[in-house]
Amino acid sequence: MDDDLQEETLVADYQEQVNYEADGADLDRIDTLGVGAPDLKAQLDAAAQPLEYQASIESKIASYDNYCSLFHYILNSEGPVDVEQPGLGFCWDLIDEFIYQFESFCRYRNRVARTSPTEEEAQVLRENPNVWGCYSVLNVLYSLIQRSQINEQLAAQKRGEDGNAVAGEYGSRPLYRMLGYFSIIGLLRVHCLLGDFSLALKTLDDIEMNKKAMFARVMAAHLNTYYYVGFSYMMLRRYADAVRMFSHILVYVSRTKNFQKGNQQFDAIAKKTEQMYALIAICVSFAPTRLDDTIHTALREKYGEKFARLQRGGPESLPVYKELFQSACPKFINPTPPDFDNPSLNIDPVDHHTDIFMDEVKNTLYNPTVKSYLKLYTTMDLKKLSSFLDVDPEKLRSWLLVNKQRSRQIRWSEGGLLEGETANSSELDYAIEGDLIHISEAKQGRRLVDWYLRNLARAY
Amino acid sequence: MPQAFDKCKERPAHIEEILNGLNRYNPETTTTFQEYVNQQCEEKYFDTYASLALLKLYQFNPQLLHPETVTNILVKALTVFPSPAFSLCLALLPPSTIPYQPGNTSVPTTDFTESIQKLTRLNTLLESAQYDAFWSTLESDDLYADLYADVAGFEDLVRIRIAGEVGKTFRQIDLGVLSGWLDLRGDPLIKFAQSACGWRINGQQVEIPANAENEAKSEVKGERVDVEMFGRVFRRAYEAPA
Repeated sequence: MDDDLQEETLVADYQEQVNYEADGADLDRIDTLGVGAPDLKAQLDAAAQPLEYQASIESKIASYDNYCSLFHYILNSEGPVDVEQPGLGFCWDLIDEFIYQFESFCRYRNRVARTSPTEEEAQVLRENPNVWGCYSVLNVLYSLIQRSQINEQLAAQKRGEDGNAVAGEYGSRPLYRMLGYFSIIGLLRVHCLLGDFSLALKTLDDIEMNKKAMFARVMAAHLNTYYYVGFSYMMLRRYADAVRMFSHILVYVSRTKNFQKGNQQFDAIAKKTEQMYALIAICVSFAPTRLDDTIHTALREKYGEKFARLQRGGPESLPVYKELFQSACPKFINPTPPDFDNPSLNIDPVDHHTDIFMDEVKNTLYNPTVKSYLKLYTTMDLKKLSSFLDVDPEKLRSWLLVNKQRSRQIRWSEGGLLEGETANSSELDYAIEGDLIHISEAKQGRRLVDWYLRNLARAY
Repeated sequence: MPQAFDKCKERPAHIEEILNGLNRYNPETTTTFQEYVNQQCEEKYFDTYASLALLKLYQFNPQLLHPETVTNILVKALTVFPSPAFSLCLALLPPSTIPYQPGNTSVPTTDFTESIQKLTRLNTLLESAQYDAFWSTLESDDLYADLYADVAGFEDLVRIRIAGEVGKTFRQIDLGVLSGWLDLRGDPLIKFAQSACGWRINGQQVEIPANAENEAKSEVKGERVDVEMFGRVFRRAYEAPA
């Protein structure tokens, strides 16, 4: 999937998209508004703009009210509202900002309740328990999806039929179709923030993960989709699938890097990229796999020492796992109002998820040790190995069981993102007969054709 | 062959319908889901995806949270190890249950948090294959028996999972080791190994027939070559005049 041929197409694709975006921006400016909604365009524009970093609590609440009335207008007017050519990037920004404000408000509210529950802010928050409620946020996203019949449209396209035939009055308009589409991606993100990783993946049932998908036409959407899908896979312990997602997008980013300079989203892209390298380091340490050369090099540049520590395992790797996880995980939220009367109960959800993740790290801490020894032998006595490692045979048996279990992973091959088959992800395999460990290795033969083609391409 | 995560072959049609629609967010379906959890406890199967939907309803509506149903779900999740099911359930519980910090005194302990912490400890022991310690922990406190009282055949369900894991890794295992892992001795142990697992007892050793997982065959994987790899070379041949 990472050959040179693809690189060319990637670059061509990217340029096409950049141009597309530029076209969209022009159209935004010359847009004419529908009759009866003179300020709709201005409202939409305002809603897609980020809130000031130090916005007061009043403006956070006001912003929520604005979203409510805006979406109410879009969804519940008599018939679809008219805004022509709203631009794909613009629709993404609108949904993205909406969810971002929900996320930061929940985190802010939780933080206030934990650290300064007696101050005036806390009082205002107490009096407004329904602001940025999870039900109203989900309601907006699901309503946009239903109004636009976007799932029906995507399913029809998947079957090779015309999506427009099932789009209906609303869904045939670009504004509704695009808002509906990005609401699906938005749901992926919201479910992930709430810690519901299987539902997050389920949400994308009708979207195919490839370059032709609509999300791939907006860089930020492309990046975020792969990030959240990859992260959800990671939490479902499907590391091979997670690595596949992160690799795909990171290769794409690295090969189109030169076109992104000067882009206003450059910093955001760089940050997400950094996070995904951290996650890929974690996943690869859990399930060693051969990475694309570009990614491997970048990974060693960015996280060389840390990556090596993860791969060695053992107690020294624990702080590194924790640090990388916390720097790269989504900003998890608690959807309900906090308990202002008991500040200590309002634990940061990020800490909660870190604890859960770290338990799996601790359970599999000695897999690298076990593997590094077994690799050297074809048969080995269990008692002898336990004396090498200086542990009880009892404990070693547990390590061997754990390592074997974790080398079996569910891996996607076709269908929805949640589907897949169990596969042995490790080159090393073994079986124990009494105290004797029989070890086998599946070796990768030399990849001659690949080598030949690469060098041939270089010779042109 | 595992089924997709969102499927469960025993799942009744009315639950499937709720899961696929917006009613999965409707607080009124809580009781339906709770009854479904009871059914799973009685009929010895576990529908992870549906259980997560119920935990999500609790996450959105904390006032509806029914502690016994939550602990029943967690006990059921133990019976499907090794799997991420238990962690996925924990992920939807309130962070204040601090599942991994039983000694933390900055958060008041309640019966509910204590139960969650105890079950989490059991999960860690199973996931890290410390089966001896799992059984001794289970017997160390009467509270455990109360926690799994509603789950029919809990101990045997766990034994079957442990045996399944043993069968994947071992071809032959010492009877004494197996006895500790399954918490069975004497006749019940022999009977379990022979009739439930289909293993042969040979003196102090238990022989496990070959299966796909305990063979450990060496192989050399060949390179996969398909026509598309040559696309660029072919294209080049037509394009370049020189």
